[in-house]
Amino acid sequence: MGVTCVCQVPVAEGKSVQQTVDILHKKLEQLGAVKQGSFCVDCETYHATGNVSGQPSKLLYVMHNSETPLSCLALFEGGPSLIADANFDVLMVKLKSHFQNAKGHKVECRGSRYRYYDFLIKVGTVTMSSSARGISVEVEYCPCVVPGDCWNLTKEFMQSFLGSSVPDLPSVFAAKPEGLFAPSDCIDTMTQYLELFNKLRKLQIPGSNVR
Amino acid sequence: MSGGPAVRVSIESSCEKQVQEVALDGTETYVPPLSMSQNLAKLAQRIDFSQGSDSEEEGAEGEPRDREWGKQEGEEEEGTVKFQPSLWPWDSVRNNLRSALTEMCVLYDVLSVVKEKKYMALDPVSQDPTAGKTPQVFQLISKKKSLATAAQLLLKGAEKLNKSVTENQENRRQRDFNSELLRLRSQWKLRKVGDKILGDLSYRSAGSLFPHHGTFEVIKNTDIDLDKKIPEDYCPLDVQIPSDLEGSAYIKVSIQKQSPDIGDLGTVNLFRRPLKNKAGTQQWHLKLEAAQNVLLCKEIFAQLSREAVQIKSQIPHIVVKNQIISQPFPGLQLSISLCHSTGEKKNQRTSPEKPSPDNHLYVLEHNLHQMMREFHKQQLSSVVMPHPASAPFGHKRLRLAGPLAYDKAEISSLQQSEGLLEKIIKQAKHIFLRSRTARTIDSLASRIEDPQIQAHWSNINDVYESSVKVLITSQGYEQICKSIQLQLNIGVEQIRVVHRDGRVITLSHQEQELQDFLLSQMSQHQVHAVQQLAKVMGWHVLSFSNHVGLGPVESIGNASAVTVASPNGEYSISVRNGPESGCKVLVQFPRSQNKELPKSDVIQDTKWSHLRGPYKEVNWSRMEGRNFVYKMELLMAALTPCP
Repeated sequence: MGVTCVCQVPVAEGKSVQQTVDILHKKLEQLGAVKQGSFCVDCETYHATGNVSGQPSKLLYVMHNSETPLSCLALFEGGPSLIADANFDVLMVKLKSHFQNAKGHKVECRGSRYRYYDFLIKVGTVTMSSSARGISVEVEYCPCVVPGDCWNLTKEFMQSFLGSSVPDLPSVFAAKPEGLFAPSDCIDTMTQYLELFNKLRKLQIPGSNVR
Repeated sequence: MSGGPAVRVSIESSCEKQVQEVALDGTETYVPPLSMSQNLAKLAQRIDFSQGSDSEEEGAEGEPRDREWGKQEGEEEEGTVKFQPSLWPWDSVRNNLRSALTEMCVLYDVLSVVKEKKYMALDPVSQDPTAGKTPQVFQLISKKKSLATAAQLLLKGAEKLNKSVTENQENRRQRDFNSELLRLRSQWKLRKVGDKILGDLSYRSAGSLFPHHGTFEVIKNTDIDLDKKIPEDYCPLDVQIPSDLEGSAYIKVSIQKQSPDIGDLGTVNLFRRPLKNKAGTQQWHLKLEAAQNVLLCKEIFAQLSREAVQIKSQIPHIVVKNQIISQPFPGLQLSISLCHSTGEKKNQRTSPEKPSPDNHLYVLEHNLHQMMREFHKQQLSSVVMPHPASAPFGHKRLRLAGPLAYDKAEISSLQQSEGLLEKIIKQAKHIFLRSRTARTIDSLASRIEDPQIQAHWSNINDVYESSVKVLITSQGYEQICKSIQLQLNIGVEQIRVVHRDGRVITLSHQEQELQDFLLSQMSQHQVHAVQQLAKVMGWHVLSFSNHVGLGPVESIGNASAVTVASPNGEYSISVRNGPESGCKVLVQFPRSQNKELPKSDVIQDTKWSHLRGPYKEVNWSRMEGRNFVYKMELLMAALTPCP
């Protein structure tokens, strides 16, 4: 598990989401990247019930990543997170009285997985209740686990196929203490995905009842 | 008793003293006890002295008179002796007289009775015993009879003793059987089915999946002929093993090759050594162990042949009868065979057939056994408890994959399970490659003397990887010429060479590649050595090249060259060394020393005499010195002017 950067790619002018994704695929293949199957990241939202009234109920996100197929991640909104094995989903069903599944809030990101030497690139479309909302690009630099050491390299690589829409250092890494050995892990990746999903959710339908 | 009132019974001792009178008020007055003298006087009063004279008067009255005599005498005597010994001085005389009289009276009575012949008669008494008169024949017969009874008694006793001895032995044997059974029980699994005792020698409880039932039967061997001598190794317990597990078996792994490429790969013969009967081990134990070994060998072979059929490889594995043939490298054949010999005779017949050093790969045979056991253990540990209730079944490390967020690569590395055959082929490849590398290096070292090759093999190897450090040096100059140090990592398919400066070269399993590489390294070493020597001798290196682009093309690698100049710059030596063309040494003389050079009109000035002259080749083979570097040192010394 290396250092991962997840970013949103805007849909090109006058093109559909799928067309933009195709353009990205073509660019990557021209670069020399090899397609290696597909990937999937999904996120389900739960909200805690039985809270003290007056306080806004906290949200719990349960996420899966095909990169870690046996794991299940749970992230509290702005709070702690945990990694569990796949049985965690069953546990959530048992905890129905405490955490209620917000139906229709399921977000999925599916796409292809490319390998370019030490880089792993995943281009996916983010779908929310079966409608495509945006494009995500995840770039992972596998040999390194310290974000500060490889960010510039990653950035340069991303520029080669994303052009100008290269993000800054992700905020999860910026928050990490500098100078200390703080390896990135899959929680960082999932936090970035979660941020992306939340951004897309708010962006698209501002009028609907998003909690 | 419980119902009625308690009755008090008082017991009083009887009164010793006589009661004199009882008063009206009930008090008793006792007679005071007699004093000694009073008592004596009282007793004396009771003696009647007149009686003696009375009896004399009635003397002829007979028997009744006799009785009276005795009675009265007793009384009288009692009184006399006790109380008046002094008063009766003639007492003894009187007594004697009286007894004499009594006897006389008796005699008189007897005589009178006999005389009348009415009641008694006197007869003479005979002295001879009547037994003396029995006839001798009768005596003999009786003696015989008594002897016969005595003999019968003795025989009966002997028979009884015999019986008890045999019974004892029987008992002991029974006891031995039981103790043996106990020992068997402590080492093998036994169970009772009906009246039979069955045992289990399969590895099923250790995790084996081999379907062979592997049961043996325990037999009681107690009915042995008592008359015959009991053999030394007699054991009351015997085991009957299934007929297909009898004899001895071993897995033979060997490499056959078309060309005599490598020497003997095996080291020691682990099997086929006659099983020595160790002291303290029972026969049944050896028998069972042998049978278990046969079972394990069969299981290994069954597993291997199943894999051989399933695995798809470029050159398919061939399974023929009890042999699996595979081709790890071209021209190389790996054969794994199950050798099962039953009975002693066969063994003896086959053993002289192969005393030759056959190319057994004992290490692989051992590894096969070990891997099978590992497989068993894996089987066992994946099912065995304790196990977290929520976790999925499977490998323990795999259980951590979820909570530790293992990614795909890590999980697949956990899940990969190579078959026994794949592993053993890989190991065989590695062993073969290693021994071939060793042979290549050794043959080069023995063939080429000048740059010496030293190989340092590491003692501890992985089954798939081992390493050797190769040093190329010149004799006597080990300290200054150590530029070539190679680390050869021998893998399964290829050899990775790590150069001292970090260059990595990957060679294939072909022997020629390694040989060519080492040859080119050796030729480079000579040029490196000249360079190092020049530094020591104070010469200047003018040019140096590992790969010269000029001159004849070498078939192996490239030639290398160095040019060094003497400290004062007058002479220079050029060396060109190629792996194939060998070395060529040229010396350049200063212009002034050269007489043959025609005087030029143009360069008349003395300063031009410092220009270098032409090169001359040194007849290197005729040069003195035991090796290249020594020759070079001598040459340099010769060309250095004396200070």
